[in-house]
Amino acid sequence: MEKLLSVKKIVVGNQQVKILRDISFEVKEKEIVSIVGESGCGKSMTLRTIIKLLPKNLEILSGEIYFDRIEIRKYNEMEKIRGKEIGMVFQEPSSYLNPLFTIGNQIEESIKENISKKEKKEKIVNILKEIGLSPNVYYQYPHQLSGGMQQRAMIAMSLINKPKLLLADEPTTALDVTTAFGIINLLKNLISKYGLSIIFVTHDISLARYISDKIIVMYAGMILEKGNADLVYNKPLHPYTQKLITCLPEKYKKGEKIRTIEGEVPSFKNLPIGCPFSPRCEYRQKLCEEKIPEEIEVDNRIVRCIRYGNFMEN
Amino acid sequence: MKKILQRLKKRNYISFISLWIIVFLYFLAIMADFIAPYPYNKQFRDYPLCPPTKIHFFDHNKKFHLRPFVYEIKLVNPALNQYEIIEKICPIYFFVKGEKRKILGLFPSTRYLFGTKQGKIFLFGTDMHGRDIFSRVLYGARISLSIGVIGVSLSFFLGFLIGGISGYFGGRIDNILMRLVEIFMMFPAFYLMLALRAVFPLNLSSFQIYLLIVVILSLIGWAGLARIIRGMVLSIKEEEYILAAKALGISTFKIIFKHIIPNTFSYSITAITLSIPGYILGESTLSLLGLGIQEPFPSWGNMLSVCIGNLRILSNAPWMLIPGFFIFLTIICFNFLGDGLRDILDPKNW
Amino acid sequence: MRRYILNRLFQFIPLLIGMTFISFLIIQISPGDYFTQLKMNPEISPETIENMRKLFGLDKPVIIQYFYWLKNIFSFNLGVSFSYHVPVSFLIKVRLKNTIALSIFSIFLTWIISIPLGIYGAIKDKKIQERILSFFAYIGISLPGFFIAMLVIFFISKTAILPLGGTTSIFYENASNFEKFIDYLKHLLVPGLILTLSGIGSLYRLMKNNFLETLNSPYIFTAYAKGIPTYKIYFKHALRNAINPMITIFGYELSGILSGAGLVEIITGWPGMGRLVLEGVLSFDLYLVMASLLIGGILLILGNLLADILLALTDPRVRLR
Repeated sequence: MEKLLSVKKIVVGNQQVKILRDISFEVKEKEIVSIVGESGCGKSMTLRTIIKLLPKNLEILSGEIYFDRIEIRKYNEMEKIRGKEIGMVFQEPSSYLNPLFTIGNQIEESIKENISKKEKKEKIVNILKEIGLSPNVYYQYPHQLSGGMQQRAMIAMSLINKPKLLLADEPTTALDVTTAFGIINLLKNLISKYGLSIIFVTHDISLARYISDKIIVMYAGMILEKGNADLVYNKPLHPYTQKLITCLPEKYKKGEKIRTIEGEVPSFKNLPIGCPFSPRCEYRQKLCEEKIPEEIEVDNRIVRCIRYGNFMEN
Repeated sequence: MKKILQRLKKRNYISFISLWIIVFLYFLAIMADFIAPYPYNKQFRDYPLCPPTKIHFFDHNKKFHLRPFVYEIKLVNPALNQYEIIEKICPIYFFVKGEKRKILGLFPSTRYLFGTKQGKIFLFGTDMHGRDIFSRVLYGARISLSIGVIGVSLSFFLGFLIGGISGYFGGRIDNILMRLVEIFMMFPAFYLMLALRAVFPLNLSSFQIYLLIVVILSLIGWAGLARIIRGMVLSIKEEEYILAAKALGISTFKIIFKHIIPNTFSYSITAITLSIPGYILGESTLSLLGLGIQEPFPSWGNMLSVCIGNLRILSNAPWMLIPGFFIFLTIICFNFLGDGLRDILDPKNW
Repeated sequence: MRRYILNRLFQFIPLLIGMTFISFLIIQISPGDYFTQLKMNPEISPETIENMRKLFGLDKPVIIQYFYWLKNIFSFNLGVSFSYHVPVSFLIKVRLKNTIALSIFSIFLTWIISIPLGIYGAIKDKKIQERILSFFAYIGISLPGFFIAMLVIFFISKTAILPLGGTTSIFYENASNFEKFIDYLKHLLVPGLILTLSGIGSLYRLMKNNFLETLNSPYIFTAYAKGIPTYKIYFKHALRNAINPMITIFGYELSGILSGAGLVEIITGWPGMGRLVLEGVLSFDLYLVMASLLIGGILLILGNLLADILLALTDPRVRLR
């Protein structure tokens, strides 16, 4: 399969803080890649970096992003790519949809093809049906829809131009479980139908395994482990991933004490000099606190931990 | 308090300066007896509508004088209020002797901050009765500046009482009180102010009028404050620690005074600062229209009233507008200060 | 939509009743009544006064008096002005027209100027252009309306480019309708501009803050992510959302405009309601003052109703519940 997106050694931040450090990963055609991590670890920033919509005070400091042979960092006509080649759906559809315009209107304005109004409407009604909404939704305003319907409308909006890549930023977190599963299954079906790749951001690693081919585990703006979804889930290598998985509710026996990861996520203003996870890690060595470990390939995946190899030279 | 000042200085320098300007204005008002070169009602009949006196260091021979001086002036054309300089040098002295006055109404004194031994010094010119506008601005500041503070205290008391009751008890009481607030807010303030003034006779003593203005302005101002405080109390009431206090059986009285009122403090400070300009404006408006402070007592508002519909005075003696600049200065300083305080007292900005 | 408006109308009824009651109360607490002054007038016979007393129910208890008064109010009988010796309603009719013209003129001008400025300020946030605009806005907010009026009049008295005072020129009687209209507009210009100047600052600041806040909202991010051009994001998505809160405060703003208009009318000599109230207060013409107060309140209620309707038209969340 061909590479669709490749992110190489991206650093995002400003003079004071680095929000993303040394981020590299690839997305192939028709592949689902999940980015997993606690809130504030830089998952959403990674998505925003890909379509170059960072907050005003942040910028890409170094690295390269290739999408379909375009180097995004140097590319100046992002408006041609956003919505057309790369679609995006968000966590809370209720606030990410403009309350003052109908769903039809909001989908229509994202259509990039030069076709008549009637054709546009036909197109929208078709996609609404496909996504499991009644054509009537075309005339409705966001506040008249339920959360699940809003999210479906959002997906319809992002798929209207048949993009190659869909960025999904925790699309199911704000929904209740049954609605969420409806959305997950919908996304899975769409991949085969549209020939689409998805980057799926979530904090739920078991959901990530269910939906995706590949899992990327992020912590404090860094990738700690990435590889085949089943492999990462069943045989995690990095101490952080291991902790994440042993803390999952389904891993408990009845009456067992609740396990947590001790300590707190470091703030971006006060990052450890060495491995970001070192203050909370039980295998911590002296070297861990001094140098950031390099990414190395172990057991068919990439891990950033001293236990499996060497430190980065810096 | 010191902390607040430091933070203000660091985050918002303009509002820090504004605070000091306000303090300075209040100082001028309090010390008016000492700083003003003339009493507020002293009429110099020979100097009607005299332009502001220029202070010189160089005389007409270009000779430098270390002690600043003014020239004596003389009215040459009474019809057109034209003055001519007589080349007689009148030096300015500090702590000059003058008529006996009581400073702060307590300490009799015959010496004032500055003045001339011969000639006259009118820093801001004179009005048509030949009264020194600078002195009158200082005395007027006493009324204009104090009415804002007293008025806001009274409305705040009312606002706190009614807004607090409404927000804390809710239900029917809240409903009735809020309708009342809405009714008061539905009258345009200017009309309500004049209507309330109309209830009382026009010729009252100046003290009665002062009190009347305070009462009228508070009757207009309480409604908005009550609504804001009600909203604040409503949101604090829902906070977990209040629910906890209630669950622990702490008395209503204690909850209100120990938990709710202190939590509205930082907001109240800001709201008070930002509503003072409204009271200053209200007083000046009433006095400007001849319904407030009466002559010969000066207030910044009534000093401007000759400018209404009197184009000749406006165009020939623009210094008559100076009290307006003082109103503007005070209001802009309070606005800057209020914005600065809101900025630093908001916990989100810490 | 219709239900929403009816609902709002319904909510205004207790307000209206409360307002009449407070107006009535103010007359009641004032020393003496309307007739104490009339009695001093030798031209009016005691019988006439006694008849009028009965008409107003002044020989009955206070509550009954209120209902008498209310009945009179609803038949637009607002009493007789004893300084003008004509019905108050007649006086108000003439002046109300001028006040409404002045208010609408300046509201229109204020919005037309401050909304684009607000958008510009928000787009240039924290840059030099925005700092300058905001500085002037600050001055505008802090300058008292009457002081702006005096400064403008001072300027005009030096240049004499615009007419000042009254609503018409001397040639008015012989002019054509169109010339009459232009003449009226010319006279409206000075008070209108003064009122506009004193209103732009706060409206600009409001619009700027709204627009900024809207630009930071998630749906604007969605629009960017959809690849919509920036100008379209500003003028379609952000503008509509930023204007809605402005409509909400329209009623509140109208209160300020009516108050400001009253004062500006007095200073510039524009014969509107503001001057009428002042004349009423100065001549102790209580019925005139109360009627003006009531009319001012009713104008505000109508303004709020208008704002509610406008909001329902622009915001589907209000319209379709």
